[in-house]
Amino acid sequence: MKNILLLEDLPEIRVWLRKLVLQVFPAAQISESARVHDAISLVSAVKFDLALIDLGLPDGSGVDVVTKLRDVQPEAQSVVVTIHDDDEHLFPALQAGAFGYILKEQPRELITEQLQRISQGEPPLSPSIARRVMAYFSAKAKPQPSMLPHVSLTDRESEVLLRVAKGYTLPEIGVQLGLSRHTIADYVKQIYRKLNVSSRAEAALEAQRMGLFR
Amino acid sequence: MPMPSTRRLLAFLTMLMLMLVACGLPAAAQVLHINQAQVAEGAGSSFPLAAAPQRVALPDNWARTRPGSSGPVWYRVSFTAPLAAADNDLLSLYIAQVCTTLEVFLNGQRVYSGGRMKEPLTNNCNHPQLVTLPTALLAPGENTVDIQVVGHPLAELGSRARAGGLSALDIGPQSQVAPRHTLRTTLNVTLPQAIGATLLLTGGFMFVLGFINRRESHLAYFGALSVGWAIVDARLWLRSLPLANSVVEFLLVSMLAFITLAGVQFLLRYAGTRQRLVDRLLPLQCALMPLTLVLAGPSRLHGVATAWYLLLALEAAWAAWFYLYTQRRARARGFWLMATLLGALVLAGLVEFFAQQQGLRPLAAHLAQLVPPVMLVIIGLRLVQQHGRALQEAELGKAHLEQRVREATAEIERNFRQLSELRVEQITERERKRIAADLHDDLGAKLLTIVHTSESERISTLAREALEEMRLSVRGLTGRPVKLADALGDWRAEVVNRLAQAGIEGEWSAPDDLPQTLSARAYVQTTRILREATSNIIKHSGASNCSITCRVAEGDFVLIVQDNGEGIPLELDGRLDRGHGMASMKHRAKQLQGQCLVESGPGYGTVIRLTVPLDRALEAHPQ
Repeated sequence: MKNILLLEDLPEIRVWLRKLVLQVFPAAQISESARVHDAISLVSAVKFDLALIDLGLPDGSGVDVVTKLRDVQPEAQSVVVTIHDDDEHLFPALQAGAFGYILKEQPRELITEQLQRISQGEPPLSPSIARRVMAYFSAKAKPQPSMLPHVSLTDRESEVLLRVAKGYTLPEIGVQLGLSRHTIADYVKQIYRKLNVSSRAEAALEAQRMGLFR
Repeated sequence: MPMPSTRRLLAFLTMLMLMLVACGLPAAAQVLHINQAQVAEGAGSSFPLAAAPQRVALPDNWARTRPGSSGPVWYRVSFTAPLAAADNDLLSLYIAQVCTTLEVFLNGQRVYSGGRMKEPLTNNCNHPQLVTLPTALLAPGENTVDIQVVGHPLAELGSRARAGGLSALDIGPQSQVAPRHTLRTTLNVTLPQAIGATLLLTGGFMFVLGFINRRESHLAYFGALSVGWAIVDARLWLRSLPLANSVVEFLLVSMLAFITLAGVQFLLRYAGTRQRLVDRLLPLQCALMPLTLVLAGPSRLHGVATAWYLLLALEAAWAAWFYLYTQRRARARGFWLMATLLGALVLAGLVEFFAQQQGLRPLAAHLAQLVPPVMLVIIGLRLVQQHGRALQEAELGKAHLEQRVREATAEIERNFRQLSELRVEQITERERKRIAADLHDDLGAKLLTIVHTSESERISTLAREALEEMRLSVRGLTGRPVKLADALGDWRAEVVNRLAQAGIEGEWSAPDDLPQTLSARAYVQTTRILREATSNIIKHSGASNCSITCRVAEGDFVLIVQDNGEGIPLELDGRLDRGHGMASMKHRAKQLQGQCLVESGPGYGTVIRLTVPLDRALEAHPQ
């Protein structure tokens, strides 16, 4: 029994997504929303296990919902469902705490499979996202204000990222490093988590700094 | 360096000293030295015996013996004839100094005239006289020489050096007295002329230099000082002027105020200061001094002028002291040179002063009057040298500055270029995002709806492909190049994933660490070609294996996709099946100035060979 939030402004797509979600989680309780504002109210009221969040919405960005969800319900999984496949759109959502993303135009089978994987703890990671994460952490390797919690990737995590960036699939990387698929997925999860923790710390510091100078 | 000029000056002074010594040697025995004469005043054409002649010692200084007199004064001397008859030489009368001019009579016959005996008198004060006594007029035994002298009383003169009087006389063979005359002429006339001309030239030059270079105003003042001095000194050798003596004296004395102004200002400016009070008072003085002279009248000129001289000398001394004081404090180079030169000037001034008190001038006074112009010439040389050096430094500084300016300009241009490039990039980026957002929100949403609501799988697929195309087009809009290594990562992930999902074994081989970049357009087109090729393999080939090889060769990016499928069936006209999208793949390669070769035969699989020139891919811009 899962409680699922579905944030999507296009009615047809929302209907289609609802069907798809019910296919994966037949007993799911689905709360639908078409606007960021409504979604944020829902998040404060209802406890969710999973949230499918569109990014480009009429009254704002889905990233705000991801952030809110991460704040009030840290156990809930946010999954970005979007038409944007580029890292520029996806990366902020991942930094805000989204645990994976699904591209809307993919065939139904592929999406169901991805959704299952994500719910099982195997988020996807494209080469361009991997490059962006690498760039983020290598920029952080430079001297930082000491008040920031120092979050850095382990060698193994960096190794996985590098191979993803080069276009290797996760199973391939598993074979190359002599690790199980499950272990590789754990690394990816760690990468997502660290990205979120580090980004949130940075955002908090930035907010504090803005507060000081206000 | 001033050293050569100083040395030259020393040599010159030594020579003068030697000449002086030579001059001071006792006269040869045959030369008669006369230092006594009978004297009487009278305007007639012969010695006024009626005026009761008296005896007077020579030199006779009118300022003492007959103050206020302007002559004519007659002097009579007698000598015994056969002085020079011995050796076939002319007998000559040498007069070291006479002021202002004279006429000479031998035994009552006029034998020589120094020039005009009436106003304006010919000025012979500085010109020694050599009078040849005609042998025909000489009587055996006693001969009489009468000398008629006209001059100006001291009161009307600015300088005692021009006061009336007559020096001692020498009568002897011309061969013996002529050298004295020559030496004295050289000292009194030729040298002042030469030095005056030099002073005039250097002074004029400096004046122009200082006038053009307002920051070096001391040069202009020095030039004015030099020129002024040269003009005043011209009175030493200039005999006749078409002006009355009183006018000439007035002008000469007035001139000194201007010379003092120039001198004081030169020293102050040269010391690097400027004093407002001095700037105002000195010109006032220049106006005041002539005024007092005019008010006093010509007959009291000497007294008034002397008072002024004292004041001017004090001003000059103060300026000199001020200059030396500041230079000393600043520990300036060349302090001692200037101190020496100024000291020499003061010394010369003192000698001149005492010589004036004496009336008729000893040789030392004549030498002393040469010192100031020589000092001025030396200072002028030093100034020119300093100016030249400053000019050189300025040139160097200018060259340095120009270099800096060039560098700065280049940097500004570079920054500007970068800035404008950045701006273009920002605008492009913003526009791209706007268009992308529009496309995604509108077209994207509609295509997506078709993808997921269409009953027909074919329409879904078409809409999905259209969506992908749209996204690629949006990406192609940006001019931002893509690193080849990144592009290979994207392509590998996509192709290998798709092949794996279709159950086809994919072998990807590409070199590591490719530093090259692809233009956004080349990236997009290559992505499309690769995507199309992969789709073909999945849909039509029936292959179980596919190898993709990437490499960079001679500036080209080469991509080879090879499968082990059935190959592409030939159409009736012998060409490869158009349904497999080969035409569009080739067209896209062509747009990138590359080529796409397809080799296939039924049962032999298919090889697609795509070549994209990297350098041109770099140049290629989105349309």
